[in-house]
Amino acid sequence: MSAAASASAATETPQRASASHGLYSWVATVDHKRIGILYLLTALVFFAAGGVEALLMRVQLARPNNTFLSPNAYNQLFTMHGTTMIFLVVMPTLFGLANYLVPLMIGARDMAFPRLNALSYWLLPCGGLLLHFSLLAGGAPAVGWFSYAPLSEMPYASTNGVDYWGLSLLILGVGSVATSINLIATILTLRAPGLTIRRLPLFVWMVFVNSFLVLLALPALNAAIVMLFIDRHLGANYFVPTHGGSAVLWQHFFWAFGHPEVYIMALPAFGIISEVVPVFARRPIFGYEFVAGSTVAIALLSFGVWAHHMFAVGMGHPMDLFFAATSMLIAVPTGVKVFAWSATMWGGSIRLTTAMLFAVAFLIQFTVGGLSGVTFAVVPIDWQVTDTYYLVAHFHYVLFGGTFFAVFAGLYYWFPKITGRMLSERLGKFNFWIALIGFNTAFFVQHFLGLMGMTRRIYTYPDLPGWGLLNMISTIGAFLLGASVLVLLWNILASVRRGKPAGDNPWRAWTLEWAATSPPLAHNFIRVPPIRSRRPLWDLAHPQNPDPIVGGVAAREEIVFEKNQAGMASFLISEGMFFLMLILAYLFYNNHAMSGPTPASTLNPQRAGIYTVCLLASSLTLWLAEKMLKVKKHSTFRLLLGLTILLGVVFLFGQGREYIRMFHDGVMVNSNLFASTFFTLTAFHGLHVCAGVIALMIVMGLALAGDFKQGRIEAVKSIGLYWHFVDVVWLLVFALIYLRLLL
Amino acid sequence: MTTGKFLVFAWNWNLWVIAICVVAISIHGAWHRFRFSRKSGWLLVGMAVFFLTMGSPIDALANGYLFSAHMLQHLLLLLVVPPLILLSFPSTPVPDRFQIGRWKWLNWILRHPVATWLLGVGGMWLWHAAALCNAAVTSAWVHRLQYVSLLLMGVAFWWPIIGSWPRQRLSPLAGIIYLFSACVGCTVLGIIIAFAPVGVCSIYLHPVDRLGILPLIQNQWGLTPAKDQELGGLLMWVPACLIYFCGIVGLFARWHGETGDEGNTPESQLIKTLVEEPHGH
Repeated sequence: MSAAASASAATETPQRASASHGLYSWVATVDHKRIGILYLLTALVFFAAGGVEALLMRVQLARPNNTFLSPNAYNQLFTMHGTTMIFLVVMPTLFGLANYLVPLMIGARDMAFPRLNALSYWLLPCGGLLLHFSLLAGGAPAVGWFSYAPLSEMPYASTNGVDYWGLSLLILGVGSVATSINLIATILTLRAPGLTIRRLPLFVWMVFVNSFLVLLALPALNAAIVMLFIDRHLGANYFVPTHGGSAVLWQHFFWAFGHPEVYIMALPAFGIISEVVPVFARRPIFGYEFVAGSTVAIALLSFGVWAHHMFAVGMGHPMDLFFAATSMLIAVPTGVKVFAWSATMWGGSIRLTTAMLFAVAFLIQFTVGGLSGVTFAVVPIDWQVTDTYYLVAHFHYVLFGGTFFAVFAGLYYWFPKITGRMLSERLGKFNFWIALIGFNTAFFVQHFLGLMGMTRRIYTYPDLPGWGLLNMISTIGAFLLGASVLVLLWNILASVRRGKPAGDNPWRAWTLEWAATSPPLAHNFIRVPPIRSRRPLWDLAHPQNPDPIVGGVAAREEIVFEKNQAGMASFLISEGMFFLMLILAYLFYNNHAMSGPTPASTLNPQRAGIYTVCLLASSLTLWLAEKMLKVKKHSTFRLLLGLTILLGVVFLFGQGREYIRMFHDGVMVNSNLFASTFFTLTAFHGLHVCAGVIALMIVMGLALAGDFKQGRIEAVKSIGLYWHFVDVVWLLVFALIYLRLLL
Repeated sequence: MTTGKFLVFAWNWNLWVIAICVVAISIHGAWHRFRFSRKSGWLLVGMAVFFLTMGSPIDALANGYLFSAHMLQHLLLLLVVPPLILLSFPSTPVPDRFQIGRWKWLNWILRHPVATWLLGVGGMWLWHAAALCNAAVTSAWVHRLQYVSLLLMGVAFWWPIIGSWPRQRLSPLAGIIYLFSACVGCTVLGIIIAFAPVGVCSIYLHPVDRLGILPLIQNQWGLTPAKDQELGGLLMWVPACLIYFCGIVGLFARWHGETGDEGNTPESQLIKTLVEEPHGH
């Protein structure tokens, strides 16, 4: 399957010769390698911005009662620092590495959908600029990176900062979901012959699992931001407690995204470590199955732990109890990984290159961050230290000491592949030691500050014993850390021009990307080596002593995926989560009596039933249309397709009439929470039906132009999937909103 | 009454339950000529859980006192007992009577993961519609029907994962999606129950205190109807998902445990399972 699929992928993405030179070629590129580099460079720019923001805060905190920054400026800085680092630095860096490496590691020509890939990238600078534009438009958001309601509502945050924050995150969210769809489709359908899922390099496996996390987690944030927008600009009260809304619901939505997000930022880093450690310990990874399996376990458990961010909110004992238990549980698979990496190094002949040094430091620092994380699962301790500098220290140990150190390791490891030149090891050692000392100086003391009672997000503090000293130490460490980044930049700039030529495989590594030239050709591989195990290049170099064959000689995958359908199915997973959030919000706000319009007083289930039948019938006609297409009855296909479109339009018309009737009765989106939730849910569904109708019209146009006659009907099938999904969602909505009235 | 006394005296030595346990263990023993194997272990654990569900104080509490106990009972009957029983079954090819005979319809259901998924997850949703939930407490027959249906739906749900016809099992990746989506289904129901105003199952609001333990529950344990319902929702939300999670981990282990030599064909697997001690973990 893969050979044919890669061949077809190659023919689908012609590189125009004119677009291969100069700046324009970078803007117009759809090459995954260039897009990967663009991601990394953009992340670097925002890393500088986020770093400067951090240093400004550290200057302000260096002395007690300092007046370097105003309270408002400080609030803006910590909000921008958090948002920038998470959404504009860590995620793009990891996506950039995945973009660059995944196709190479699986022996593919490019990503499954190169144009979509370019779109996902360009949404990143777009979102980033939008966020920073808020500085010129009345002030940056100043509500913290999690924008807790009601602080983020109009009465408390009346400038446009929060709006820019939300818009930018929506755009970035769309880009992230698109990238994940692309990665999933790529990994499922474009693997080289012989590269079964069980033989995947661990980095690819973790990116694969991580993509599902993105698909499932981001929609929760998007849904919450949509509701916040409706609150802020249409006058609804989703998160305004004084008008029946629930500020705690924002927290639930946010952390249902936010905790998986922590693992979204950690899993690819785990993947990098799982590639770097074996190569520099000269041993295959210890317990591949356990590392791969614990990744799945972490991904699944990460959805069941979010409420541990809310122990201090007062959720009640039952809730605290369960989430404390799951939060401790998730430490187990993470521990399994740490043991596997340590065991890989045990007895290996370790080469302490800069990459390996960063990997080892990752292991120690991440463990420290993980252990302090477990302490937060203990509810009474959480009550004591949550939102203090102890927490700040904890998550910086995870995200800087963990993820960033892994990224640095990956950068030193793959830089030769990307540029064809080695980074200087001498400067690298400087970079490493300054970063190590700077990081630990900056953040280790913050544990103590937190335990002494210094809360996070305060712009200054009184001159209490020890506080000034520890804060000064922390600030010095932060500047050292900044210096180490300058060394890295210098190293990159110098090495790109004058670095030692790398050759194809400078580290004698074993995964496929090292079989390509450095830098790789535009089409990546001339010939992909045979793959029978997890280390194809080891087998190539040691034909008399190959790795044991994984999964049998004639290993076949159980399921063969088609690219478009894999992409569409992944997209629908994400859409499903988005609607699930809207449905849960509807149920949550409508399970008790409230004043104003109610479902019973405004809705008419019989009328809705009629256009529901139309929508369901359209699923049937589309299904029949596909059948007709399969047996090449093209005119019947077109007829049924036309009927489907017509039924879809009838549904939209019916829903539109219902809206008009409601508006006429004075029921608006801000009337009460029933109206808000009803309009949000049904309008988003209606938008999806509109999109479906447009897509079907495009299919119709293609059919009339004579497409599909050669039997390429994947497009029809994918749109069909989408249309059926939209219908199933309506069926649920209809049952929950309308049928309940009849019971 | 004190907690200790309650735990000692509230056992329910239902003859039916004991008879089912004894018969199941005897049949299994006779089939395997009374040689103890891992499969026998699964059955014994399964029967022990079954007895605890139906005969221990959990049952007494579920019987009109605590919504959360009733939820626990459901979870055990739907998600724990059936897979343990299935794990104790020998692996066989699909018998003829399920392929062409009059049990064909049953095989049709078992072969279609969407159908079994709907049975497994839908069953849980269905029994929590307010009317059915209350009826199960007030009417003994509806109650029995509920027990039997939960067990049967549990068997159907787990069949594509660990059923005794390995040939019809889902592939590992599909199995992971199957279980994860079920977890989402349960989570949603759990969340809805945990956040709903008290009285999802209104019968538990005003228990008839037949055993005289209401003061114990509400005063000493502090389980007011509101807390009780929240606990019930959380049980459905978190531990239920952990059970599916165990299934996923098991699937992953089975997948990576396959040596796959001589190809991974269903036939060769079948031969292997027939000749050797079948792996059912």
